[in-house]
Amino acid sequence: MKYDDETLMAYADGELDAKLRAEISTAIHNDPALARRVEHQRAMRARVAGAFAKVLDEPLPDRLLDAARGKPTPVSAADRGKVLQFPARASRPPPVPWRAREWAAMAASLVFGVLLSWRIFSPSHPEVMVASGDALVARGALADALDSQLASEQRSEAPVLIGLTFKARDGNFCRSFTMGATRTAGLACRVGGDWQVRATDTVPASGQMQQASSALPPAILGAVESRIEGVALDAEAERAAQRGGWK
Amino acid sequence: MTDTPSEIGERIVVLLPRLRRFARSLSRNQHDADDLVQSVVERAWRHLGQLKPGASLASWMFGIMKNAWVDNLRARQRRREVALPEDSGEHPAVSPVDTHTSLWSVSEAMNKLPEEQRLAVALVLVEGMSYKEAAEVLEIPVGTLTSRLARGRAALAVTLSGDDGGNPA
Repeated sequence: MKYDDETLMAYADGELDAKLRAEISTAIHNDPALARRVEHQRAMRARVAGAFAKVLDEPLPDRLLDAARGKPTPVSAADRGKVLQFPARASRPPPVPWRAREWAAMAASLVFGVLLSWRIFSPSHPEVMVASGDALVARGALADALDSQLASEQRSEAPVLIGLTFKARDGNFCRSFTMGATRTAGLACRVGGDWQVRATDTVPASGQMQQASSALPPAILGAVESRIEGVALDAEAERAAQRGGWK
Repeated sequence: MTDTPSEIGERIVVLLPRLRRFARSLSRNQHDADDLVQSVVERAWRHLGQLKPGASLASWMFGIMKNAWVDNLRARQRRREVALPEDSGEHPAVSPVDTHTSLWSVSEAMNKLPEEQRLAVALVLVEGMSYKEAAEVLEIPVGTLTSRLARGRAALAVTLSGDDGGNPA
């Protein structure tokens, strides 16, 4: 047996260097037994990957979303027992570093009062925001909406709803938005050709998504307040800014 | 680290589905897996300062999950040693039902792997990481990762191919 299982596994996983890969590719053509062994490796990979693939499409529980956003989460009695399995985890909320403290304080008043319900999270479209250098940049449907959608003309069932549009103190345009599917509200500002996402938060389940601006969570309103120069644009000014390419 | 907390939070949200999938491949019980994810996210926030500039947030968090899961297993083992009668009644290692199931599901088969093989299989086959990425997360040389992965795969093949579900190896 010229090639051991480890080598064939690495071949099936695409991990071999070009020379050895080419050598095995040729050998497979002339050796059905070798081809079968590679096929077994591929089949195992596909089977294991397939078994867990559907986890990506499961709705995300609120407690994980809140934890990810650095919010203190009230722990239910049922969960408390489980918490004890992790020695590093205390029953009080974790200390939140730096400026998260401010956001958390604003968000906490909301989060304790409102039962958040998470409907659909669509990990098949996670690319509405991507990390680019130090910034989080809007992509896909979010970027499209920020570029071209006008608050005065949007359909209420659009996947992204634009709320306030305003000029920030640094001269850039900023727009608040909500995405119903992920219950995300946020603020994005135009920098260069990108929309950089400056703040995000979870929209409370009872929020009126149709009135995107009035339903903005406190954390987003705070982000707006800290940046806005003057007042938000009216429909006409919003249209003019859009036509001008947000420059 | 010039990301605002809100930006970091959103990057973690984007990672959540993958973190859950990784956790699920380590722990069969969905609730335990989500507890693991939550503890990892909380640890990440607490130790954010340790994330090196330019380092991948994903790799870093997968590494935290590896450590948290191993710690958790150790704690569980200790408890089992200390309080065997109570614990063994509550959480039998192998239930009679399991041993007579004719088909071993992938996650059951994974659950039988030694922890180091399970981690290698989970990162490469489930998460689709390259050997190099997985080795970095596990803090081991690529050669070690490769041999653990090969042994894990071979063991899975034995467990999953056999219809002899009544005789778990």
